[in-house]
Amino acid sequence: MQIVLQHIKPTYMMDAEINASDIYLQKNIVFNSGEFYLIKANSGNGKSSLLNFIYGVNSNYSGKITFSTNDQSSFKIDKLSYVFQDFKLFEALSVIENIQIKNKLTNFKTDLQIETLLQKVGLLHKKNALVKTLSLGQRQRVSIIRALCMPFEFLLLDEPFSHLDNDNIKILTTIIEKQCKAQNAGIILTTLNNDYLFNYDSILNL
Amino acid sequence: MLYKLQKKTINPVQIIGYAITLTVGVSIILILFHLYFDLKGLFNKQTDVFNDNAVVISKEVSAFKSLNKNKIYFTDKEIANLKKQPFVKNVSYFNFATFKINAFTNGRKDIPKFYTDLFFESVPNNYLDFTNKQWTWESTKKFIPIIIPENYLKLYNFGFAESQGLPVLSKNTISEIDFNVQISGNGNTAIYSSKIVGFSNKINSILVPDDFLKWANKKYGHGNKQKVSRLLLEFSNPNDTAILAFFNDHNYAINKDKLEFSKLLFFFKSLFLFILIIAIIIVLLAIAFVLLSINLIFQKNKKMIVNLSHIGYTTKQIAKFYKLVMFSTTIIAVFIALIISYLVRNLYLQKLKDLFEMENSSSFTVYLALIILVSILVIYHFLLNRKVAKITKL
Repeated sequence: MQIVLQHIKPTYMMDAEINASDIYLQKNIVFNSGEFYLIKANSGNGKSSLLNFIYGVNSNYSGKITFSTNDQSSFKIDKLSYVFQDFKLFEALSVIENIQIKNKLTNFKTDLQIETLLQKVGLLHKKNALVKTLSLGQRQRVSIIRALCMPFEFLLLDEPFSHLDNDNIKILTTIIEKQCKAQNAGIILTTLNNDYLFNYDSILNL
Repeated sequence: MLYKLQKKTINPVQIIGYAITLTVGVSIILILFHLYFDLKGLFNKQTDVFNDNAVVISKEVSAFKSLNKNKIYFTDKEIANLKKQPFVKNVSYFNFATFKINAFTNGRKDIPKFYTDLFFESVPNNYLDFTNKQWTWESTKKFIPIIIPENYLKLYNFGFAESQGLPVLSKNTISEIDFNVQISGNGNTAIYSSKIVGFSNKINSILVPDDFLKWANKKYGHGNKQKVSRLLLEFSNPNDTAILAFFNDHNYAINKDKLEFSKLLFFFKSLFLFILIIAIIIVLLAIAFVLLSINLIFQKNKKMIVNLSHIGYTTKQIAKFYKLVMFSTTIIAVFIALIISYLVRNLYLQKLKDLFEMENSSSFTVYLALIILVSILVIYHFLLNRKVAKITKL
């Protein structure tokens, strides 16, 4: 699948604010599945907005975003997966329930596979703990595992490792890379700093 | 998992409050419809054998007229004048028996023994809205059908029966009672079997078929010319305002029962409408209240709904749980209301059946309950989908 951005710009930003952007107001930016993209920008430059534009949950932009597949009805369960910056977890549910609530939609992973992932990121013992009792780093790990519970062609990651230590980052990048390769999926990852956790095919400044 | 999450957002007290209010409102509506259809039958039922477009008129009896009896009779000139009036379609006379009549029973144990003098009158058949097969007379059969004023039955039920400890009789029961009628005159005597086959509020007389009376008057009557004290008028349009004015000008008395009945019917309909409006307001308030509650739930849990949408749940999937709660609560409330309405109906029917002949009404109330239910469910279906969609598209 291809994602093509044409003359994209958040409606709330002035042209002058996005002078040096590799993406905003560019004629034709193409993201191909199977390729890894890093999008760098300082805080407040619209990284989350860009991913939200692509994911279809924010339409406050001018320009055009097109996908090579016409049917976008089930994008959120079989084409685009998203690790949100604010996790979007349900505090009233436990760790496993937060993951299952997504997996029930897709039936993508078995219970055993989910437990294996939890074990790898050191959260199996917290399986039945309510999310509201977890630290930010633990929540971030849960949200990444939840995002992997679906088939996808692109994985959108919005500052996914901001609260994690290096060990956990290493574990998670391995898991993500493995699943992306298995599905020939692409990654669009936003970050504040230089981040060479994956072998990126393209690095873009926002 | 989704239901577990959404279940926590519902306030059971609000849902129970909604269910109770809706039950009350729908119960009132359904009871009103039961009442309407049960009583409508009663009001519209042809309880009177006398044609609706016809009246009986007589001259007002004043102190002066009571001294001079001839003044109560209509003259040929007066009758001709009446026939000329534009609102009068037809003018006819009462025939009365000019022979002696006695009615009596043979003293069956379930019927009180009686013997009484009677009088008979008859009117042309076109003045009677009467389809009873027994309302015929054949010279070969020794049977005379009789129509009596409904007041006679009331007089018996509420006066005679009460004071003498006799059973109260319904119209149907009294119509089952056989008795004998002996007529005599001109040196002839005959005994006929008889039955009451109908009741009238408008004619204060004991009616027999016109054919019979004409025949019997010839055979048993004294043959003197009958004077006309009462006339039967058939109107082309009974609502014509000129009618009452004409009767007042000529000092003719007209039966005003119909007018009183119309007032009662108007009062009943107004009261019915008033209670119906209140019941509809209760139902609408219940719906508005629960929609407001749902709206508050959605606003309070906006983040959860948005998150569900962001992880891939569709509007329909998110709204499904709330629909399930609303649908099941509404179905239970309407079902309970239906049961209540039938219980109340049974209660009032027990009372009314003692006083009136009630027919089994149709199952229209069940259909009405279904219509109310489906309408509310359709409203919730669209509104809940729309509200969820509105939140997720923010």
